[in-house]
Amino acid sequence: MKLLVDIVGRKLFALAVIIGVGLWFLVVPEFTGTLGANPVEKLLHQSGEIAIWTLGAVLTLSPLRVLFPGSRIVNALNRHRRTIGVSACVYGLMHFGFHLLYEGDAQAIARSFSKPFIWVGLAGLSILVALALTSNNFSIRKLGGRNWKRFHRLAYLAAALLIYHQAIAGKGHWQIARWLLVALASLQIARITKTLLMKLRRASRTMSIFGAATSPP
Amino acid sequence: MTVETETPQVNCIHRRWDLPDSAVTPEAYYLRRREFLRVFGLGLAASAVLPLTSRGASTGFPDSLNPNYKLDGVKLTPEELVTSYNNFYEWGLAKDEPKNRANRGWKTVTWTIEVGGLCANPVRIEVNELIKTIGGIERRNYRHRCVEAWSMVIPWDGFPLAKLVDLAQQKPEARFVKFTSFFDPANCPGQRSNEFPWPYTEGLTIEEARNELAFIATGLYGKPLRNQNGAPIRLVVPWKYGFKSAKSLVKIEFVAEQPKTLWNEMAPNEYGFYANVNPNVDHPRWSQKSERIIGAGFFSGKQPTLMFNGYEKQVAHLYAGMDLRKNF
Repeated sequence: MKLLVDIVGRKLFALAVIIGVGLWFLVVPEFTGTLGANPVEKLLHQSGEIAIWTLGAVLTLSPLRVLFPGSRIVNALNRHRRTIGVSACVYGLMHFGFHLLYEGDAQAIARSFSKPFIWVGLAGLSILVALALTSNNFSIRKLGGRNWKRFHRLAYLAAALLIYHQAIAGKGHWQIARWLLVALASLQIARITKTLLMKLRRASRTMSIFGAATSPP
Repeated sequence: MTVETETPQVNCIHRRWDLPDSAVTPEAYYLRRREFLRVFGLGLAASAVLPLTSRGASTGFPDSLNPNYKLDGVKLTPEELVTSYNNFYEWGLAKDEPKNRANRGWKTVTWTIEVGGLCANPVRIEVNELIKTIGGIERRNYRHRCVEAWSMVIPWDGFPLAKLVDLAQQKPEARFVKFTSFFDPANCPGQRSNEFPWPYTEGLTIEEARNELAFIATGLYGKPLRNQNGAPIRLVVPWKYGFKSAKSLVKIEFVAEQPKTLWNEMAPNEYGFYANVNPNVDHPRWSQKSERIIGAGFFSGKQPTLMFNGYEKQVAHLYAGMDLRKNF
């Protein structure tokens, strides 16, 4: 267990997993001939899915830390928030690049920008870019911890937009988006419930100590 | 500039599936390989029934290209791609899934189809018998345009739908034809999901069904339809988006009212009943002005989409005076 925590906590481990996923789904198929009949479409879809799952993964980390504060594996994983978050943005940018490639020419690209489906994806991606650009110690110092944290809550808005983008990408079905939404929403609900309960408990303890003094005369 | 030949022309680069002719098993042997094994293993008793039961629909029927549907100057999509890139949600949402999943023991040989509803001559008939009754098959090269903005050119084998309509003798009150695909959730993973109102249904107006282009396919590239392509019998309506061409049919009915169709029911704002290929009416999420040509390489391979998929001459009159923006 200690060894596992040790490995999981290493930066090399995080990078290997994140880059490995990209290599496996976006590069290896070129060499094994499994890109299929519509190669750019396949790369477009795979990169989008990697991006949204990576974003989903990073958003599980802070609720998990609140829910399991003693878990060393959760704490080890939490060290990689920045790496995972920035990779979600990088895969998102690749997805956008494949979209441009898929549309092929300037006219077709311009036509694609007339669709709300594309706006939603672009809005989500723009947020990810802004968050990735400020994912460094300099920005945290410059903005101040509290403001930086508030700003980075936009990740939830990005997730909502991108899950919606994913959901309407399917022809009337939304299987991937559904599982992501259920997982992320239930973790958030659990986290909020736990935080509230802890606040209540603290408040009631404070009340019982100072109860007499705070009651009206 | 007639470039069309009986074999697909794959341009320039060498592809993995390219084989010298010398390496190809003669098709007659290939098609008979199982027969040989079974006859060998099971003895004479089995051999007596094999010719009837082990072959797909359209096997053994003489078949030649109808010169009216040659598509001069257009390249056929390689067979390997036509049989590996399929939207067949009964077998999974990804396009490479049907090829794998539909070939794990799903039986499409000895398949009965029902032709009924408002007609004088309803029948339930085995597919090979139906082909015999209709009078054999022919080959036609048709463009195939998917609503997802990609396209192929496919050499289908089969017969005109009009012949089947004539055979059934529809009653005057029949105004539509409804097509129903198989329903077999025990074998078919996609149909175990309740996300879609299975079985797959589609529909045409009687006039559309009688149009010379409307086709019932039982094969492609001169071989029985592969399971992933909708074996053993399917609809092909080349001037409409691909989803109108329902696969693996079990029922064709003449009806008075416009039938419910699966995609129209799922997302009426995205998939209309008519679903005619039309570069001027966008899908809500993408433009329909151009299409990616399957098999034309990694970076190139887009072409403008044509009105009615290039079949304006044959079908435009069916929609004279109709607002195609409203009736998309």
